[in-house]
Amino acid sequence: MASLKLEHVKKVYDKNVVAVHDFNLEIKDKEFIVFVGPSGCGKSTTLRMIAGLEDISEGTLTIGNRVVNDVEPKDRDIAMVFQNYALYPHITVYENMAFSLRLRKMDNEEVHRRVCEAAEILGITQYLARKPKALSGGQRQRVAIGRAIVREPQVFLMDEPLSNLDAKLRNQMRAEIILLRKRIDTTFIYVTHDQTEAMTLGDRIVIMKDGYIQQVGTPQEVFETPKNLFVAGFIGSPQMNFLKAKLVKNSDRYAAELYGIRVELDEKRSAKLRAKNAQPGQVILGVRPEHAQLRFDGAANAIEGTLRVNEMMGSELHLHVDLNDDTRVILRIPTLDLTEEQRAGLTYGSKLWFTFPEKVTHLFDPETEESLLF
Amino acid sequence: MADKKIPEVDIIVDEKAGVIKEVEQPKKLRSKKGHERRVNGTIYTVLTIMSIVWLVPFVFLVLQSFRSYKLEKGGMVDYLIPKTFSLDNYAFLFEGSNFFSWCGKAMLLAAAVALAATLLTHFLGRSLDRADASRGKTTLTLGAAMAVCYAALAIAAGAVHGQALGQRLVPALLGLVLFTAAGVIFARIYLKQDDKLLRSLPGYVAEDKHEGAKKVATLAAELWALALLCQCIVAPMQASQYIRWYGNTLTIALFTAVIQTVIVLSVSYALSRLRFRGRKLIMNTVLVLGLFPGFLTMITLYFLLKQMGLTQAGAVPGLILIYCASSGMGYYISKGFFDTIPKSLDESARIDGATRFQVFLKIIMPLAKPIVIYTVLMAFMAPWGDYVFASYVAFGHQEGYNVAVGLYNWVNTNDFQNYFTRFCAGGVLVAVPITALFMALQKYYVEGVTGGAVKG
Repeated sequence: MASLKLEHVKKVYDKNVVAVHDFNLEIKDKEFIVFVGPSGCGKSTTLRMIAGLEDISEGTLTIGNRVVNDVEPKDRDIAMVFQNYALYPHITVYENMAFSLRLRKMDNEEVHRRVCEAAEILGITQYLARKPKALSGGQRQRVAIGRAIVREPQVFLMDEPLSNLDAKLRNQMRAEIILLRKRIDTTFIYVTHDQTEAMTLGDRIVIMKDGYIQQVGTPQEVFETPKNLFVAGFIGSPQMNFLKAKLVKNSDRYAAELYGIRVELDEKRSAKLRAKNAQPGQVILGVRPEHAQLRFDGAANAIEGTLRVNEMMGSELHLHVDLNDDTRVILRIPTLDLTEEQRAGLTYGSKLWFTFPEKVTHLFDPETEESLLF
Repeated sequence: MADKKIPEVDIIVDEKAGVIKEVEQPKKLRSKKGHERRVNGTIYTVLTIMSIVWLVPFVFLVLQSFRSYKLEKGGMVDYLIPKTFSLDNYAFLFEGSNFFSWCGKAMLLAAAVALAATLLTHFLGRSLDRADASRGKTTLTLGAAMAVCYAALAIAAGAVHGQALGQRLVPALLGLVLFTAAGVIFARIYLKQDDKLLRSLPGYVAEDKHEGAKKVATLAAELWALALLCQCIVAPMQASQYIRWYGNTLTIALFTAVIQTVIVLSVSYALSRLRFRGRKLIMNTVLVLGLFPGFLTMITLYFLLKQMGLTQAGAVPGLILIYCASSGMGYYISKGFFDTIPKSLDESARIDGATRFQVFLKIIMPLAKPIVIYTVLMAFMAPWGDYVFASYVAFGHQEGYNVAVGLYNWVNTNDFQNYFTRFCAGGVLVAVPITALFMALQKYYVEGVTGGAVKG
């Protein structure tokens, strides 16, 4: 259990490829932090620098109160779970889990106690005498986690631990990691490219792109007030719709005009825009698919579109709709909101209209891609 | 329809239609089968002829070695199978040495000691298990027990060979130290797995019921080998010319195998895992250097060895030095093998608290067994069959010859006709250990070659 501090951490590979730029983050004790981003965004590199598997080119890394830039991984008191499990194939599950304890010359009885306890938590007691190759993917991942928890480390690092599992098992393991976290209360740093994992697991999420931190915040924060276009698009599934709009100012209230409709912005948003001294002009308006409301009758102040794809997801429909300038938007409509006839009418090429409440809109500057409401 | 039996492949049961259709086997396919058979036949014939051609010299050598040099004289005779089979040639190789009686005595002694050690280890181990003693204490006790066994052996061996007690004391003490160390090591291995703890687990299924017995047997075998070594210290064998050459070859090959394996594996591991400046350059340079035949350095090497006094009488250490000198250059195949072991294993072990060396020893080595065996075999074979280097380093000094050089000298004398069959016998004995090694390890050998090659 320890806090972590990364100050101006930078990673430069040979040939001057910069993988991580000026990474600043303070991680509190017992916090669950998730690094999320598309591949190549530097999240794994950052984690590996924390683990000590990569050198830190610039900046300082502090674990507890100790600067550990030049400390060997074995002396950092961290444990790590790898994407490909990295179990030692030639020894049994028991010995895999006991490996780190034996290296520390721990007493046999203590080793036994800890391994059994970890196996109990993870439900792998009956596999302890097996070799890793006789286990399924999920079991292997449990062993890998078990190997980390027997250490009782200060910081627990996980590098995409679930991405090698199938979808069903992944959901199950995700829930187990949440439970595990309740049981072994320590600092977690979790790397993933899956925004669902990030949202469900993290106390705070660090969203990265091209080696830069885009935004740090609780799942709620990054979902409701994304800092820029990238975060808005990355968090949430299906991703947020971006529409070209024109910002107009009417005395001290703002409004957005798009596709022939006018969206009056509420006081909260207007206040923020005023504070930013936003000038009327081109903006990008973001609406999440689930906030769209379907209209069939061509109601006033609704955007018209042509249905292209209708994906039936069970409890909801994902409608891919082309607007009149060929912009593609996705609408998430709960199946229960529609009548049988309405549903039957949603076929390729059919016209439909949608609106959205003004209090869920996001506004972005098309030049800087930054949010105007942040 | 569906549960109707399907008698032949040619008939397809069409379940939907409920009909059985007979599908005609195309004629082309049948003739293709015949064609295949003809091709296979040709291949097998060619292979058989080739293997016969290949084997003839060996069969010839073995047969000639049984033709007595006393009864059927002559180097080249006009018949292949000797008229009478005799062991005269082999007997000659051991003439003037007490090899067999020495071996007999040594084995007898060693067997007795090994038996005693085994029983002692077994019972001691069991009683210690029961007493729930700490690991360190158990280790020490076992080590001490083995040391006592050794002392008994050394003194007994001396008695068999008729030495005075004073003469026996020094090797006995030396062995005492050696054996205590060995005992501690073996006992640690013996107690490492913690079977007791494993067995207490609810899901434990014994993988091998005789695991304990196996460990004791291994231990006994190791002790036995050590006992033989002690015997050598206590009462050196009187060697014939051939036995001396054989001993030289064995010494050189064993030392080279060990040293070269250690160097090759360390170099390959470093080149596979560590990233340092000049790594690519080193690898490329070494590869290019490897293209030059080693013989180019022959004269230089001779003068260098001469300066150090490692030629003629000092040929054995000199040759070991030569064979081991450039061994790091043979990194290529094992590096390829190490590259196939996922790097995350290293990383995981390092985070678990292992040093680089511990990672190498505890994680990589057990996984790289095929390549270790391959490397050992290669390192053993090269000096075992070498003639060129051995002949000029030991030039003119009989004591420093290896088997190849010694045997060549027999057929290079005026009496070469008469020495020919003895030469054959010597050759057959040289082939024995290497053949045995290969037969025992060929499985790993193939794995090693291909494993290294696939992602090389």
